[in-house]
This record gives sequence, structure tokens and C-alpha cells, in this order.
Amino acid sequence: MTTRTNETWLSDLRGNGATREAALTDLREVVEHGLPYALSRWLSPNDPLFAPLIEEVTQETLLRVLDQLDTFEGRSMFTTWVHKIAVRIALTELRRKRWQDSSLDEMLDNEETPAPAGLMADRSPTPEESAVRADMLERVRRILNEELTPKQREALVLLGIQDVPLEEAAKRMKTNRNALYKLLHDARLRLKRRLLNEGISAQEVLAAFEQK
Amino acid sequence: MNIKEIIQNIRNRLQKKEELSDEAIQGFLRVLDKVRVEETSCKEVFAQLDEFVEKEIHGQDASRLMPLLREHLDLCSDCCEEYEALMSVLEETARKS
Ligand SMILES: [Zn+2]
Repeated sequence: MTTRTNETWLSDLRGNGATREAALTDLREVVEHGLPYALSRWLSPNDPLFAPLIEEVTQETLLRVLDQLDTFEGRSMFTTWVHKIAVRIALTELRRKRWQDSSLDEMLDNEETPAPAGLMADRSPTPEESAVRADMLERVRRILNEELTPKQREALVLLGIQDVPLEEAAKRMKTNRNALYKLLHDARLRLKRRLLNEGISAQEVLAAFEQK
Repeated sequence: MNIKEIIQNIRNRLQKKEELSDEAIQGFLRVLDKVRVEETSCKEVFAQLDEFVEKEIHGQDASRLMPLLREHLDLCSDCCEEYEALMSVLEETARKS
């Protein structure tokens, strides 16, 4: 493979004929070489999905790189920028595969099943302790009801599901990840202020939950 | 079942859906300490992620140089996953070549 600087990557990819072809072949190799490391946490190389996913993501990455070539600002190595695009495409695809709408619905239904009693506390609290905790949790629920907009509440319900990606929750709410993050950030800020005003610390509430 | 019962039934189901689970509330509270007024979006994080990761690879204190990005990674699981994936690509490909 030819070693290229950022400038030669750009000029070769913008060039024509054999120069461009060679640069594209090299770039494909860069992406294919890097992707398995990006996926390693989620997918084993022995998984039947692995090879087709690498192929699909590589193809999509090359298209997107060519399409967005003008937006590269040279703040990193060109190949790092390309890997970044490949990672985004690959993880988006993995999330989509894993959290299709149906599986999200199942999770929501399961969420309503109460946890079996007796598994939670290793020491039964005194009636006074229980009362104080129950009171605090009740207060926090009330605060949440007052402070959260319906949209924020919907986001919280969805994201309360273990490990559900922001991206998939956003899709379901017919918005995008950026907007959903902003929505959550506003909700967090609001609640943080309110709890501060009420003299309740998040840590206290969490502790109450743990011992419920 | 009469009409009143049907309406009550629907109402119950709606209310049930609206109730926030303990897990949802806990997940929300857990990050509250880290939340600050200043923030950066997923989009901006993506725009700077390659630069951030290269700084880390070169042993620079990326979190100090780009603090808002670091904070976002602590609060946003999707961006954090992408950051970790990109880190392993760079670490591993650097090791091999
Ligand atoms: Zn994010």
C-alpha cells in the first residue's frame, strides 16, 4: 500500500483514472482492516453476520467518505477520520439489528413485571427507615411528574430499559439522537435544579432505591 | 362489561404505561451529579472525535484540552461506545503496523 499524507489522500481521491482507483483500493483495505476491532465487543469474527457486515459497512463508508471529502478539515489523520465514519456506520447498523421495534416492545412489556420479592434487601429496614425512604421516593416521583414534559417522560421510559441505545430510542420517538440528547440534557438540568431547591441529593434518593 | 368499566380499563392501561419504572428513575438520577449547564451535542462530539482520540493516543491530556467532549462521553452511552470503538481501532492498527 502507498503511504500517503492527508494531502495526497485528498488529491488522489479527487483525481481520476488509475490514481483514484489505487487510492480507493487502499482506502478499502484501511477500513476492512480496522473494522473488526471496532466490532469486537459486539460480534465475534465467527458469527455468520460478521463478514457480510464488514462488507456492507466498508462499502457504505467509502461512499460516505467520497461524498463528504470536502468536510474533512485536517484536524486528524485522514485515516482516523475515515475510521470514525466507519465506526459510526457500523454501530448504527448493529444497534438497528439488535433493537428492532419488536424487541423494544417486548422489553417494555417485560419492564412491567415486578422483581421477585426477597431478592433485594439483605437486612429488613425498621418501619421508620422504610417510611422515610418511601416518603422520599414518593416525593421524587411527584417532582418528576411536575417537572418533566410528556416528551421527556417518554424518553425516560424508553431509556430506562437496560442498555437501549439513544439512537434507537430516538428513532422510536421519531426524532434524532442529537435532539434526544438535548431533550434529556434539559430534563436533567431541570431536575437537578429542582432537587437542589428541595434540598434532596440524587445520591440520597439512589440509596433509598437500593434499600427499598 | 359496561361502558364505564371499559373506560376505566383503558384509563388504567394508559396510567400503567405512564408510570416510570424504578430503573428509569435510577438511571436518570445516577448521572445527575455530572450534568452541567454547558454542554455539547452528539453532532459536535462526532465532529471532534477523531481529533480527541488522536490526542489520547499521543499521550496528550485530551480530557483537559477538550473538557466538554469528555463530559458528553460520560453522559451519553452512544457517543461513548463510538469513542471506545474508535480507540480500539487506532490502538490495534497502530500495534500491527
Ligand atoms: Zn452523544
